Amino acid sequence: MSSPTLSPAPAAPGAPLTKKALTADHPTWCPGCGDFAVLAAFYRVLERLQYPQESIVTMAGIGCSSRFPYFVNTHGGHFIHGRSLPFSAAVSLGRDDLHVFVFGGDGDGFSIGGNHLVHTARKNVRLTYVIMDNSVYGLTKKQTSPTSPIGFKSKTDPTGAIDQPINPMRTLVNSGATFVARSHATQVNHMIEMMEKAARHDGFSVVEILSECVEFYEGAFDAGNPRKGGKFELVENHDPKDLEAAFRLANEAWPGRFGIFYDSPRPTKNALEKGLIAKARERTKGASDLELLQASFRKAR
Amino acid sequence: MISADSGNRVGPKSCRCSAKDFGNELKPKWCPGCGDFGVMNALYRALASVGRPPHEIAFVSGIGCSSRIPEYTTAYGFNSLHGRALPIAQGIKMAHPELLVLVAGGDADAFSIGGGHFPHAVRRNPDLTYLVMDNQVMGQSDGQVSPTSAKGAKSRGSTQGSLEAPINPVLYALAYGAHFVAQGIPADLDGLSKLIEEAIRFPGFAFINIQSPCITFGDPDMQVLVQKTRMKKLKTEGHDPADRAAAMELAQASGDVLYTGVFYKNPNPPPSYGSLIASRQRTPALEPSDALA
Amino acid sequence: MRGLVIGIAGASSDGITAAGESLINAFAQEGYFATLSTNPGTQIRGGDVFCRVRVSTDPVLNSGGLLDLAVVLDWENFSQLSGELSVGPETVVVYDRRSGLTASALPLGGVRPAAAVAVPVAEIAIHAGAPTQARESVVLGLLSAWLRLPQKRVLEALVSRHKAGGDPSPKTYQKAFADAVAYAKEHPLGRAIALDPAAPPEGKRRVADGNEMCARAALFSGCKFFSGYPITPASEIMQYLQREIWKYGGSCLQAEDEIAAAAAVIGASYAGTKAMTATSGPGFSLQTEVLGLASAVELPMVCVNVQRGGPSTGMPTTQEQADLFAATFSSHGDTVRPVLAPTSVADSFDVTVEAFNIAEQYQTPVVVLTDRELAQCKAVLEPIEPSQFRVVDRLEPTKAELKRYARFQITDAGISPISHPGMRGGNYLAAGLEHDEKGAPTASGEIHAQMTRKRLNKLNPLKLRKDLFLFEGDLDAHIGLVSWGNVSGIAREAVRMARAKGVKVKLLVPRLLYPVAETIYEDFFATLRRCVVVEQSHQGQLHRLLRMWTQTPREFMSVSKSGANRITPEEIVRLIQAMEQPATDRFRSHYCDLLNVI
Repeated sequence: MSSPTLSPAPAAPGAPLTKKALTADHPTWCPGCGDFAVLAAFYRVLERLQYPQESIVTMAGIGCSSRFPYFVNTHGGHFIHGRSLPFSAAVSLGRDDLHVFVFGGDGDGFSIGGNHLVHTARKNVRLTYVIMDNSVYGLTKKQTSPTSPIGFKSKTDPTGAIDQPINPMRTLVNSGATFVARSHATQVNHMIEMMEKAARHDGFSVVEILSECVEFYEGAFDAGNPRKGGKFELVENHDPKDLEAAFRLANEAWPGRFGIFYDSPRPTKNALEKGLIAKARERTKGASDLELLQASFRKAR
Repeated sequence: MISADSGNRVGPKSCRCSAKDFGNELKPKWCPGCGDFGVMNALYRALASVGRPPHEIAFVSGIGCSSRIPEYTTAYGFNSLHGRALPIAQGIKMAHPELLVLVAGGDADAFSIGGGHFPHAVRRNPDLTYLVMDNQVMGQSDGQVSPTSAKGAKSRGSTQGSLEAPINPVLYALAYGAHFVAQGIPADLDGLSKLIEEAIRFPGFAFINIQSPCITFGDPDMQVLVQKTRMKKLKTEGHDPADRAAAMELAQASGDVLYTGVFYKNPNPPPSYGSLIASRQRTPALEPSDALA
Repeated sequence: MRGLVIGIAGASSDGITAAGESLINAFAQEGYFATLSTNPGTQIRGGDVFCRVRVSTDPVLNSGGLLDLAVVLDWENFSQLSGELSVGPETVVVYDRRSGLTASALPLGGVRPAAAVAVPVAEIAIHAGAPTQARESVVLGLLSAWLRLPQKRVLEALVSRHKAGGDPSPKTYQKAFADAVAYAKEHPLGRAIALDPAAPPEGKRRVADGNEMCARAALFSGCKFFSGYPITPASEIMQYLQREIWKYGGSCLQAEDEIAAAAAVIGASYAGTKAMTATSGPGFSLQTEVLGLASAVELPMVCVNVQRGGPSTGMPTTQEQADLFAATFSSHGDTVRPVLAPTSVADSFDVTVEAFNIAEQYQTPVVVLTDRELAQCKAVLEPIEPSQFRVVDRLEPTKAELKRYARFQITDAGISPISHPGMRGGNYLAAGLEHDEKGAPTASGEIHAQMTRKRLNKLNPLKLRKDLFLFEGDLDAHIGLVSWGNVSGIAREAVRMARAKGVKVKLLVPRLLYPVAETIYEDFFATLRRCVVVEQSHQGQLHRLLRMWTQTPREFMSVSKSGANRITPEEIVRLIQAMEQPATDRFRSHYCDLLNVI
């Protein structure tokens, strides 16, 4: 194991943001893990976006994929299992100038944190959420996850899983997210395109990336990988504003399609709150906080 | 006792009960005119017609005005924790599969604090009947916005109006893959009681969203107006409840049209959770039992 | 020698855990007692891995202190583990020659071991044809020859884990093993570390870890429902029951989070079934909501908390005893819930059975505070004698009582019969709202006081249960120790060692931590002038709890270390010797780091 690294030096002021400046600790993932490709793609996305390094925030919950923030030299947080979205939502709402990216796995996103996903999405908080779905609990060494298919044998289902898995895309489209896309960790260029579009989207954007766990669920996503005899079929002739069409795409048989399922902006909670504050401030005619409070006490008498 | 596999599906009546046998002497703590009274009466009728005696029924709820409902029945009741009714009910059903297990609660219980449990109950498909009394407001805590409050809705607890897109309970249940999804209103007592009965008899997880107006904190005029002017019965509209895609399309009309009746009922329901568990218990062991070796 | 502590460290591909398992299985069959602690390290796969095997001809009380023999396959990994695998001046260090280090240049932090021997582990493995996979066989071959273990048994344990027809083939492992044995015979260790022969065991001994014993105890107690969520280091309990519970007609639910898991457990209990959940710190934090409800509605449930380093995510693969406050106090409202802690791997069985008994008898949630060390430590165990255990079932209403049934009836003992759905006439409402005897909600202060008294007083008999305490040492000693959980095994050994040196000392080990049994402690304290509570938490949580509830001796001190820093029997012996000395400033303060005292 590498010794704990202090934050590496950020890019020099004015210098372009490069992978070199963004690299932090060496990842603790197993050799061959799909998450390495997601990390590499994320560096490329940040290189393209060229946000100021100090305005980027990388967040995560708990799980293998949630180790992500340790490996990116930006502001970051490694939070509680399932709770990365409420944590990150408040960062975004409190500091609208920041660019918030949240990473996590399928257990974090659809099981323990499934409720927060729906509520952060419907509130349309401006952030980008990347779910690295490996369909298994890897960090705790192979238990059934909410996206494990029926019949999957794990330490908690030695005779095969019996619970109907979550359909991630149907769940995400239904959550109220205003941008929903799907990609595969073996398709680096596609991943970069999806993550970049998600980052540029004004609202709650989410990208689900099938990222294989070579240790506990090898070959899970081969059906979507041409190099393993599968098919990587893109979303085509699809109106991303059409909710029903998005549901139809989500209902397609495994491995389904990859690309943007839904993209239909509506006002973000960030913008609506800003408006609310501006309106309220207008009424108070620039009074200071203390004056407002004193006025409220006068009223109380 | 009937077999574990039959669960909530009950054939011939096992008791001669009337609606009265399911009500007790307690006076409900709901405001006069609350929609939940109607739900309660519809439930009594449905239970009488199903015919399981009160002591074979476990009735679980969370916290909220509507979650008081088990208190007013003679069944075994469990008025539990805010949002946790579904996991508790699943524990009861798995431990004691012969029971008829009912779950009830409000919209915040189901879709806010308990929202994380809902999709998982749906995908396990235990043989439960879940009645959500959706009043689009947090009534017991003085009228804050709930996750089903319409965008812009103002209430006593949220004078600025909601900034958020509401959850659409019917679409939500359909998207998660529920096999029985219906909507009812307490004003249509007869229709609602038949709906509840059908849900109880459905072998698997059955969800009914009940638009139950809150006359104190909600916008009952609006809710009643909608119910009068924009209500349509799915049956008379010619909707085929076996058509899932059509159901999802209709569900999106929420807010414009109030459809009542069965949105979706899987004509070939998959094996319920109870039967899958029973089959595991019958499966020969993988390894010799070694508990005390 | 009568006993040995062996540590093996390397990279995860070196098969270290597997080597440890082969060793302990061979020891068990040969009649030795042994423990095996392993640690997968902080990385998911790859990185530092170690195992520690303690073997003895006598029962093993803990996994030991300084190593007698250290086997190092990778020095980068070893330096991370100095807190867990400590080398001392008596240690023989054996290391892979491939590192190229000379004996005097080993990175041991200034410690000079008794001997340092370079051996060609990698070379023998390469020669056998499997450079990585066969390293485990080489280590086992070397150890078998040097320790004079029955080679056939070790080889059997080794080969049985590798499938015939697998790659590499069992023959490869056999060859590597045989070559290593031959090498060890040609190169005897400078210092004899051969084990004395063990007496043949009476019954068939088994190897199991604390999590397995806990799961077995649940089945023994009649637990028919389990629900949990994956979490290190408690997952093995769920995994065991997911495999086994169906055969007993029970069922198991992997829930969507720990809240749902605990809620499902209370649902099953409401339905009349014995039920359990198991988790670790972060999950326990979520479950406190449901534990509070269980106290309010007086339903039995067992919650196992396998403690790990905290707070928050903390150190998932290391042990600490810092959840005692959380277990006792993490509920709002005026309530008490029993907290038990096993003292050894074998005791995990006894304490879990007792947890079910207390839960069912007193209609209360019970927390079992085990810890990572016990949960994932394998030990050689004597066969269980079922007749030594009693199993308590909950009090059900009689037919007469069902005619006028009041679920929460006020009785002398505070225990009222529980009905369950399906029982005619027993219909009631279980509610988290305060309720009267019949279960109807109430806002009456009088009823609230009555019900609170009922819920608290019913637990009082527990405080007289001397069988929930272990005692060791001289009754009339002036100095004494209190210790709990896995650390108590270290304290017990230390007390025996100190007494062998002629020191008069005694030790009290509570398995019931809460409610605090005041009289049992005060009887123990009566002869004491000086008492120290030894535990593995920075705050000394048991020490603070005892000061809160009992009349403690005048010099009553906490000596503790944070998690992941091993407390050794030798340290405690030095502590006991220091306690014998006349009063010093060190004993006047309440809290002290162990090292400051000794």
